[in-house]
Amino acid sequence: MANNDVIVTESITKVYAGNGVPVEALRGVDLTIQSGEFTALVGPSGSGKTTLLNLISGLDTPTDGKVWLSGKLLSGMSGSELSDFRRDNIGFIFQAYNLIPVLTVEENVEYIMLLQHVSKAERHRRVAAMLEEVGLAGFGDRNPPQLSGGQQQRVAIARAMVSEPAIILADEPTANLDSRTGADLLDMMSHLNIQTNMTFVFSTHDPMVMERARRLITLKDGQVESDVMK
Amino acid sequence: MMTLKIAFRNIFRQKRRTILTALAMIVGFALSSVFIGWSDGAYSDIIEMFTQNRIGHIQVHGDDYLDKPSLYKTMVDYEAIGQTIGSVKGVEAWTPRVYSAGLGSVGEKSTTVQIIGIDVVREVEATRFDKKIIDGKVISAQPRHEAVLGKGLAKNLSAVVGDEIVIVSQGADGSIANDLYEIVGIAESGDDITDRMACYLHIGDAQELLVLEGRSHEIVVIVSNINRVLKIAESIETELGDSTLDVAPWQVVAKDFYRAMQADQQGDAIGRIIIMLIVAIGVLNTVLMSVLERTSEYGVLKAVGTKPIQIFWLVVCEVLIIALGSIVVGAVFGTAANHLLSIYGITMPQEFTYGGIKFQTMYAEVNARSLIIPAMTVMLSAAIVSLFPALKAARILPARAMRTH
Repeated sequence: MANNDVIVTESITKVYAGNGVPVEALRGVDLTIQSGEFTALVGPSGSGKTTLLNLISGLDTPTDGKVWLSGKLLSGMSGSELSDFRRDNIGFIFQAYNLIPVLTVEENVEYIMLLQHVSKAERHRRVAAMLEEVGLAGFGDRNPPQLSGGQQQRVAIARAMVSEPAIILADEPTANLDSRTGADLLDMMSHLNIQTNMTFVFSTHDPMVMERARRLITLKDGQVESDVMK
Repeated sequence: MMTLKIAFRNIFRQKRRTILTALAMIVGFALSSVFIGWSDGAYSDIIEMFTQNRIGHIQVHGDDYLDKPSLYKTMVDYEAIGQTIGSVKGVEAWTPRVYSAGLGSVGEKSTTVQIIGIDVVREVEATRFDKKIIDGKVISAQPRHEAVLGKGLAKNLSAVVGDEIVIVSQGADGSIANDLYEIVGIAESGDDITDRMACYLHIGDAQELLVLEGRSHEIVVIVSNINRVLKIAESIETELGDSTLDVAPWQVVAKDFYRAMQADQQGDAIGRIIIMLIVAIGVLNTVLMSVLERTSEYGVLKAVGTKPIQIFWLVVCEVLIIALGSIVVGAVFGTAANHLLSIYGITMPQEFTYGGIKFQTMYAEVNARSLIIPAMTVMLSAAIVSLFPALKAARILPARAMRTH
């Protein structure tokens, strides 16, 4: 494993025992993603993109195989250790934004830093800077339901990036957005990737994401069909 | 802090559900509070009547009299003993009594009687004896061969005020004791058993009849606070410092009555547990629904790094915050209901008897127990009920949870 490998998977498989009939979502995926990549996992529905993201992030456990993240083996970590690891190393951006509806924009962005026991002054400084960065300065007091889809996804991006994790995992981040908003957000993420050297991994169907990604990994029937660096 | 903030705000997300959960707790608290206030009030009345009318709060006897009463087991110099008792802090009054059994005859009718020799002045002060007279008057302060009969006894002997009663008994010296007394009053103590047998004489007359000059069988003590009766009994025992004297609080004097009351109170506790069980099931249902509805949210919280234990506390906090609010509101309703019932009471359609004492109107009591026990029960049942949903939320698999909508 090289020093700048942030994600390494070794022969990971995932079998769902749905309704008594086992479904093989992933069938032996070997993958290495390096620091600072802007990578898209693409493929048709059911190809295993989201499952792969879930296994990479420790949100789910593989049936077989191993996953290393920032040099740490995920299997064998307890629920609490995994939570801490995700908190400190991974930022998530979800298709459905998944903001905490009872918290304001500011509190949503601040939440992970609270878990990390970052000081109040530092939290406020970083939240203000991040909201400025994603174009939501002045929206801090609003609640998520008061924002448009695009604005909510910006909040989600701010939340994912504010604690400066090594990896940002984005599951279909533009699927619920109109094309213009989606393009704006992708440009913003691309810019942040270059600016901060954070690793971005997308799972997507969106041609706009594929266009901007510098590496395209195509999955088909739970296996890597192609892996193209652009 | 953030956990508390999220918990607090979550409570107001589904107002209807929160109100339903809180209502269940409020009703449970208020019912439980009234249940306790009501039963405490009723038991206080029963104890008060029972002790005031019959046995007093504490009794002092010659050694072993309580277990094996006998004409010969007397206290000599009871006046000095009484003075010592009267000096103990918390003692309100004391009164000596002489007891024996005999045969009472009025005209052609005869029946067994319980001779109770009383110090009229002290008895009035201690047990409000004058209030029990329903016909005629109280015995004179000086011995004048006067008698007051219990209502039931007067009925059995067809005696009325102004009649004479002949009492035949046994003197302490082995002689046959008999004398004639004028019936000056009829007493109703509310205690049927006592009223069917009691023939009250002046203690001096009784001592003369039974040849017990200067002696008594019992000193009845009334205390200012019945809840401190055990402590005061201990103090009396210490103050008297005489191992030949038995100092017994009412719980010992009337063991069977006390045990029956305790059994009744345990029955009440079961009633309260059933109320809280019904409330707990209702609350469990709403909390489980709430957790189920927010499965996806818990998944997100976990995904971004919230520890399972923090999710667990989030759910528990939500339930406990509702419980705290419900306790405050329930306490207002429960106290108001107990206060009203302590003033107006509830009058039963018919008299009922408990421990031989008749009751018709029952009053509640406003006390700390009627708030503390329901508060603890609501908090405890809320905490227990929240455990299962909280564990469920804490154990959620983030990937699976976020697929739930």
